[in-house]
Amino acid sequence: MSRIDEGLERGTAFAFTLDGQKVEAYPGETIAAALLASGVRALRRTAKRQQPRSLYCGMGICWECLVTVDGAPSQRACMTEAKPGMRVETQKGVGR
Amino acid sequence: MKDADLAIVGAGPAGMAAAAEAASLGLGVTVIDDNARAGGQYFRQPPAGFRHTGAMFLDKDRARGSVLAAALRHPAVAHWQDAVVWDMPEPGVLAVAAGEGSGRVRAKAILVATGAQDRPVPFPGWTLPGVVSAGGLQNLLKGQRVVPGRRAVVVGNGPLLLLIGANLVRAGVEVAAVVEAAPIWNRILPALASLARAPDMLALAIRYRAVLARAGVPVLAGWTVTGAKGDEAVTGCRVAPIDTQGRLDRARERSFDCDLLVAGFGLMPSLELPRLIGAELAYDRRRGGWTVKRDADFQCSVPNVHVAGDGAGIGGAEMALLEGRIAARAVARKLGKQVPADDDLRRAWAKRDAFRRGLEAIYAPPASFLDLMTEDTVVCRCEDVTVGDIAKRRSELAGSVTQVKATTRLSMGRCQGRNCLVTLAAMVAKDTGVDMATIPLPRPRPPLRPIPIGDLAFEDIPPPDIPADPHLPRKQRA
Ligand code: FES
Repeated sequence: MSRIDEGLERGTAFAFTLDGQKVEAYPGETIAAALLASGVRALRRTAKRQQPRSLYCGMGICWECLVTVDGAPSQRACMTEAKPGMRVETQKGVGR
Repeated sequence: MKDADLAIVGAGPAGMAAAAEAASLGLGVTVIDDNARAGGQYFRQPPAGFRHTGAMFLDKDRARGSVLAAALRHPAVAHWQDAVVWDMPEPGVLAVAAGEGSGRVRAKAILVATGAQDRPVPFPGWTLPGVVSAGGLQNLLKGQRVVPGRRAVVVGNGPLLLLIGANLVRAGVEVAAVVEAAPIWNRILPALASLARAPDMLALAIRYRAVLARAGVPVLAGWTVTGAKGDEAVTGCRVAPIDTQGRLDRARERSFDCDLLVAGFGLMPSLELPRLIGAELAYDRRRGGWTVKRDADFQCSVPNVHVAGDGAGIGGAEMALLEGRIAARAVARKLGKQVPADDDLRRAWAKRDAFRRGLEAIYAPPASFLDLMTEDTVVCRCEDVTVGDIAKRRSELAGSVTQVKATTRLSMGRCQGRNCLVTLAAMVAKDTGVDMATIPLPRPRPPLRPIPIGDLAFEDIPPPDIPADPHLPRKQRA
């Protein structure tokens, strides 16, 4: 739950929200990276058993990290770049 | 419709090396990659917004990766980023979804270099937040420079585990243990001759081991994870030794507290595209399970389609670089270009191949990981299908993967079976007492990945020839 600072400089931090709460991110970071760096664990709950799920494959193939971004459901947090002011919501089931 | 001499799918080691080689030999190349930046998993680059101020341990291969990625800016190379190949509608044509940039490319030859994915191995609790695949963890470290935990346990099977353990230590994470299923220490001696064929790799492995030793991290070899604990996220894990018969010795189970459980059970080729186009496969457990059958120029059974790197069979980045170049040269030769002899490349390839065999001998799994699963272990993450759900259908299984699919919805979710089909195939094989190699995998259907339907509207293809509606009055038919 932290960022590695050695050997690089990130740009200027900005904020987006997760379920209304402010989260800090840096230019180029994925939504998943920013959320994990700030200690968020579950990103969604499954439709059938309401199980918590989060980043697993980290490369866009498992679809476990789905979140709703600015109202659009089922976006992969591990592949989607965080942007200032983005409204991200943890997703329940298919998100509609 | 774009045109190219060679269309390359994937901008990892094999794809980048092939693009550079093909362009230097005078071919027009199109590279299609589903990431924002070239590199693949091995040469993953941090986002463009990050500025490097000095080299640290995660930068070991960054310089080499940047040189390779720079080759994609060659004037003869078109690099299609954030683009997903979702179909090959006719021979030589690839359909690509990339938002407003969606379209098709027609190429004289195609090189599939789609790399590998982690082998999914279900165990109790493996779906908990905080349980991360080996590849996923490496991406977070290398690409995002983020550590998703404070205290980690690294479990699974394969050479990546020592590297990941060492990387976590160097990133400041407390590593409680590295748990390797294979009894590697007993197996090193007989494999030493093959390992010595790649002294660079051998030196790296020794370095990783030393980093772990210095940090006092125990490496339990011949042990496996038996479960992850936690309700809302992982809080710990249980591990048990594997006896010489390949049985779990649960009486000697130990547990560790952790908030990060990295699970890496080796890699398997990403075969969706070869499978879609009907390329012949061969089962080779040592190279990741299902692999693509190829000739000496890495051409598969589908004419003019080559497959290079881990996407054909697991061999690692160094082999992938060589295979990409050899395949690109074969294409150039066929298209009438002057191409130097491959002897040096093939000799280098043979050395890597010998090293690979040595590694495989050391890391051959000593047990069936199916034994880790219990009744409520989730097999299919997308559709929440458990071992118990599948067992209920056992009577109608009849040894068929397709039947289970239809009745449980397993593999029908978004990941399209990437994280469950191999488990199901292994379950069916075990249940019916047949060899994995005889279990046919269902053929994937386009689109190969879920793509926004709107992307199709941007395709630059002529509208289909729809015959005039015969029910219309004659003068309106035109
Ligand atoms: S973590 Fe697998 S798709 Fe994002």
